[in-house]
Amino acid sequence: MDSFLLGLIAGSFVSIGAYSVLIGDNPLSKFTENLYMGILGGFIFATNWNYVRTSAINPVLQGNYIFVVAVILCVMLFSRLKIEWLWLSRYPVAVTVGAGLGLAIRTSVMADFLGQINATVLPLNNINNLVMIVGTVTAAAYFIFTAQMEGPYKYVNQTGRIFLLAAFGVTYGQTVSFRFELVIGRLVDMLRPEVALYTYAMLLLVALGLGYGYYTKKIKWYSGR
Amino acid sequence: MQIPMILTAVIGLLMIIEFFFPMPASVTSLNVTLRSFVTIISATALILGTIVLTIFHTKKVGTRGSEWYYSIVYVVAFVVTAGLGVLNVRDTTFLWIYNNMTSPIGAALYSLTAFYITSAAYRVLRARNWNAAVLLVCALVVLLMLIPIGAILFPPVVPLGEWIRSFPSGAGFRGMIIGTSLGIMGLGVRVFMGRQKEHLGIREERRDSE
Amino acid sequence: MSLMDKMLALDQRIIFALMFIALAFPILSPVILPMNIQQYSRDSFEFADSIPSGSVVLIEGGLGAATYPQGGPGLEVQIVHLLSKDIKLVFFSIGTETAAWTVTAIDNALAKLPSGVAAENGVNWVHMGYVPGGESGVAAFANDIRSVKTEDHFGTPIGQIPLMSDINKASDFAALFWWGGSEGSIPFGIRQIVTPFGVPMTGMCTTNEVPNYTPYINSGQMIGIIGGVRGSAEYEYLMGMPGLALGQAMATNFGGLLWALLVVLGNVLYFVARREGGAK
Repeated sequence: MDSFLLGLIAGSFVSIGAYSVLIGDNPLSKFTENLYMGILGGFIFATNWNYVRTSAINPVLQGNYIFVVAVILCVMLFSRLKIEWLWLSRYPVAVTVGAGLGLAIRTSVMADFLGQINATVLPLNNINNLVMIVGTVTAAAYFIFTAQMEGPYKYVNQTGRIFLLAAFGVTYGQTVSFRFELVIGRLVDMLRPEVALYTYAMLLLVALGLGYGYYTKKIKWYSGR
Repeated sequence: MQIPMILTAVIGLLMIIEFFFPMPASVTSLNVTLRSFVTIISATALILGTIVLTIFHTKKVGTRGSEWYYSIVYVVAFVVTAGLGVLNVRDTTFLWIYNNMTSPIGAALYSLTAFYITSAAYRVLRARNWNAAVLLVCALVVLLMLIPIGAILFPPVVPLGEWIRSFPSGAGFRGMIIGTSLGIMGLGVRVFMGRQKEHLGIREERRDSE
Repeated sequence: MSLMDKMLALDQRIIFALMFIALAFPILSPVILPMNIQQYSRDSFEFADSIPSGSVVLIEGGLGAATYPQGGPGLEVQIVHLLSKDIKLVFFSIGTETAAWTVTAIDNALAKLPSGVAAENGVNWVHMGYVPGGESGVAAFANDIRSVKTEDHFGTPIGQIPLMSDINKASDFAALFWWGGSEGSIPFGIRQIVTPFGVPMTGMCTTNEVPNYTPYINSGQMIGIIGGVRGSAEYEYLMGMPGLALGQAMATNFGGLLWALLVVLGNVLYFVARREGGAK
């Protein structure tokens, strides 16, 4: 059996473990969740270590000593593990948050604030433009929490809410489709002709195992609806 | 506390000023270096996160906490994967474990919500009032627009769905983007003025000292 | 307990089982139905098609384990599309996992390439790999690639990559393709590359994120978008290369209908119960 097919079968097995949580929390699903966290943790650790090694440690070893500062800041971050030393970790965090906020603010003004306002200044010559202008203004005004809900503002608020609900409704419809696509993506691999038999066999095994566990009350049956 | 606060403000302002005004080459070069530091620190923060999680599970095994045996699975999986990856991040066994174990479980776990979202919709997605009806109708029309059979059974859902998504919903999201942008700017001003200090770990320190 | 009460209090595992069957059945017995092309997908495709030969474009590969089945087929077809037009591709990813999946997309795309199309690593394409730091990382990468990357994803030093010899910042690219998956990272591209450098951009995200980005499309900051598996299927169709995405898009039919039916049924039961004074 080649490693590709073995991989597909292994993937199918662990997927069944993950899906078994739909019946209710059970030992197989908990095993799978912890396995997932462990491997993902290891993967994140190794790949990020590789980045730090190639981008900070190697340059220092090659004589680019400015990166000593980066290495020191990284080491300081680990002081969060001990509360007495936590103050040391504030320096790398300050660098990250300061740069992150600065970079976000400087372009958010142009891209998100002015860019979107510019795009809303439209001629009132068709229904789509009217919807866009009224919707944007009222939806943005809905987030003014300091104004009293009375007078004309009450109607602005109510109109804004309708537009926001339309936005949430559209997102909800799209999310439902997205979640189905996720299941289908997994099932396509699990039900490949060369893997399907293994999937069915594993499914039967899990059903028998869990059935026995629930029957003998060794696994608690989730009775909520 | 004062020095990290000032450091946050100075670095933030350096990034902002560089964007709007011509700066000497030394400042631009400093900013480039600072940005590369940020990527390195961010990568280290993720390493630290995995270490914290591993310490939690190791302690759980050591103290025989509730369901500690599952933590053994975590620790073994972490040590094996991290070990192989640190030795060689392009190692085929390391990549095989990732591709064939984590990826399928991750995909399956993310997709679980498809089932919960359906059950929840059956129970609570009701047209109880006009506001709820707007949400329900928009969701239904857009879903039918997205599934190929929807366009065959109810052809008007395609233009209607695309219109709702582009205009009423687009306007709603545009309002949110403008609001979020104002929020980012407001947060920035507060952090740079030292009025917001949570990012420096004030809460953790207070919680642990209590 | 009346039948209606029983139906309202249905065990959720029955709904789960029905949904499983509805989603698995079309995979086992596929039916292909005609499908219209969404305007956003068409705009995105036409944008990619309009890029002149010889240009260098930047691609953010943000598809992970969960999102690759939806966006992967589309990304693979787009790589084939661009390489066939002799466009050079520079990939990068802002996640560790997604950097690995971008390699999968490149490998699969290279296997689909028509014979005679040049696709040499380092000459026609290069994968710069993982860039940490989220939006700050994107800004750093966009302003000075060499300040954050010393080697590509496969360990080749950047100085030894011919394609990268004249490239060091975002303005060196003719276009940006942001395959963000479910990262929610498309605004990073708009804020850190489109706005400061004026590079035109299109992208892909999962179906649920499409509405979030419609304001950027309406304002012209982004040119169309490929939305989830449906968008990928449409790209495949427009390229004349129907594949995995098309089959998956068709498989959403029964699940979607079941969901719609359950919602309608839930509402009918609710209104009947409310008329009888039982529903809360």
